[in-house]
Amino acid sequence: MESFVQEMKRYLGLNEEDAELLRQMGPRMDKYLPGMADRFYAQIPLHPNAARVLTGGPAQIERLKQTLREWARGLFSGVYDEAYAEQRYHVGYRHVRAGLDQKYVISAMGNVRTYLSECLLLEYPASDERLRCARSLSKILDLDLNLMCESYMHATLQNLRSLNAQLEFANRELDQASKTKDEFLAHTSHELRTPLNSILGFTKLILDGLCKDRDEEQELLRDVYASAQHLLGIVNDILDLGRIEAGKMSLHIESLNPRDVLDSTIPLVSVQATEKALNLVDDTRRQKLPLVRADEVRFRQILLNLLSNSVKFTPQGSVTLRSDLASHPGFLRIEVEDTGIGIPEEKREAVFQKFVQVNVAQVRRQGGSGLGLAITRKLVQLMGGEIGLDNGAGDRGTLVWFTLPLAAGSATDDVRAKPAETTASR
Amino acid sequence: MSSTHLVLIVEDHALVAKFYRMALERAGGFTCLVTENISEILEQVEASKVDAAILDVSLTGTEWQGRPIDGVELSQLLKKRSPRRLPILLATAHAMAGDRERLLAASGADDYLEKPVYDAQHLVDKVRRLLSSD
Repeated sequence: MESFVQEMKRYLGLNEEDAELLRQMGPRMDKYLPGMADRFYAQIPLHPNAARVLTGGPAQIERLKQTLREWARGLFSGVYDEAYAEQRYHVGYRHVRAGLDQKYVISAMGNVRTYLSECLLLEYPASDERLRCARSLSKILDLDLNLMCESYMHATLQNLRSLNAQLEFANRELDQASKTKDEFLAHTSHELRTPLNSILGFTKLILDGLCKDRDEEQELLRDVYASAQHLLGIVNDILDLGRIEAGKMSLHIESLNPRDVLDSTIPLVSVQATEKALNLVDDTRRQKLPLVRADEVRFRQILLNLLSNSVKFTPQGSVTLRSDLASHPGFLRIEVEDTGIGIPEEKREAVFQKFVQVNVAQVRRQGGSGLGLAITRKLVQLMGGEIGLDNGAGDRGTLVWFTLPLAAGSATDDVRAKPAETTASR
Repeated sequence: MSSTHLVLIVEDHALVAKFYRMALERAGGFTCLVTENISEILEQVEASKVDAAILDVSLTGTEWQGRPIDGVELSQLLKKRSPRRLPILLATAHAMAGDRERLLAASGADDYLEKPVYDAQHLVDKVRRLLSSD
């Protein structure tokens, strides 16, 4: 394919004779070039983007003028090849990147053209010679203008391409977000329907008088009550997660005695543990626990979530609670270890995500919204701690741990979660 | 036709299973067998004791030959193993467009019930209709 510069040279009738003439003009025009650069840049401060573009002060202007003088020397070099075109392109790209609009640069070049004609008048008094020179100069300036416009077009195209790529990327992200939202909705709807099934079904049975006696009515009402509580739990989880993701989760951070929180939380799962004949062991009593900085309600929520997960997913054996001050300096580490079904290593990151479980159906059967660990992780992070999973003892079961910062004083302050912090982990 | 029909209920949600059982038993003419145990299910079906079955699609506690089996597969298995015609009602929360046709075709089940099922009469009517087409 013929290059653009060759094609334009032919189109403009710029031939070897013109090139030779321009070469001869070069030395005579050289003294006018500083004045030409001044003329060109006299107009630049009037450019709408000038304040943004010309931030380098006089030194920058001097550099630009130097560039323009070199460009003008190129005009009189007589060599209009690929390298010449590339150099010209480069100037165009720089202008576009700097934000100089094409129309203003073209008009400034018009000024340069007028100036050069005036110079010709001084340098070539004989009109015949001047006319020949003016014709050759006009051809090379036309070629130059074409190259400049072409370079602007390329640079703009490139900008558009990269903008397009950015848009495509943003679009894919939005698509993914919308898909995630859809899945969230589908899943949520399913989770809400299950307890509703029991609430509506059993209520209808009672209302229709299909119960044998009052005892049976009582039994069904207990099922309805349990289902309604389950439903409330799911709704609360969804609201919590929504609050956290919107950065609206307010935490009341204070210095707390972890002992108090542990002692008031463990009994909440001991009933379930006893029902399943699980051994619930509290090893945190082995050491005196220091004060931590945490929100009491959320601390309890984290602990309750981890404990009830362990109880839920442990068919037999034990659930053990441990504390550790050595492994994370400045933090209290609390571990919940069970002898349950365990979490395969490749699923350990995934279980912290919304509605992702080792086995979704299994969680459904076990109850729960599937949001517990996602919420728990965010709460731990909001309080400045970390959370992680490991193998349980003997390669079976799960060990989940989290840390909370130790209290330095006993001051109380409120922290409002920033969206950036809470979404960083997603 | 015997005076009471034995309906097999395979459903991993205990309260949902309980609702099915109560709805059918209170309506009269039904006894229910609620189990997720595959060998017990096959034993009862092969002995021609089961008159109809309600199967949940997502079964978590049920394994067959060492791997998990869902309601769709179980339906095919029961159809094959039953010495006599065994009407099967597939109950599921998969209620998106196209699920019904897809699941019915794949399972060979006779009818389809969308969860949540909280109208006892609706359930009873469906099961009766399945039995009367005997």
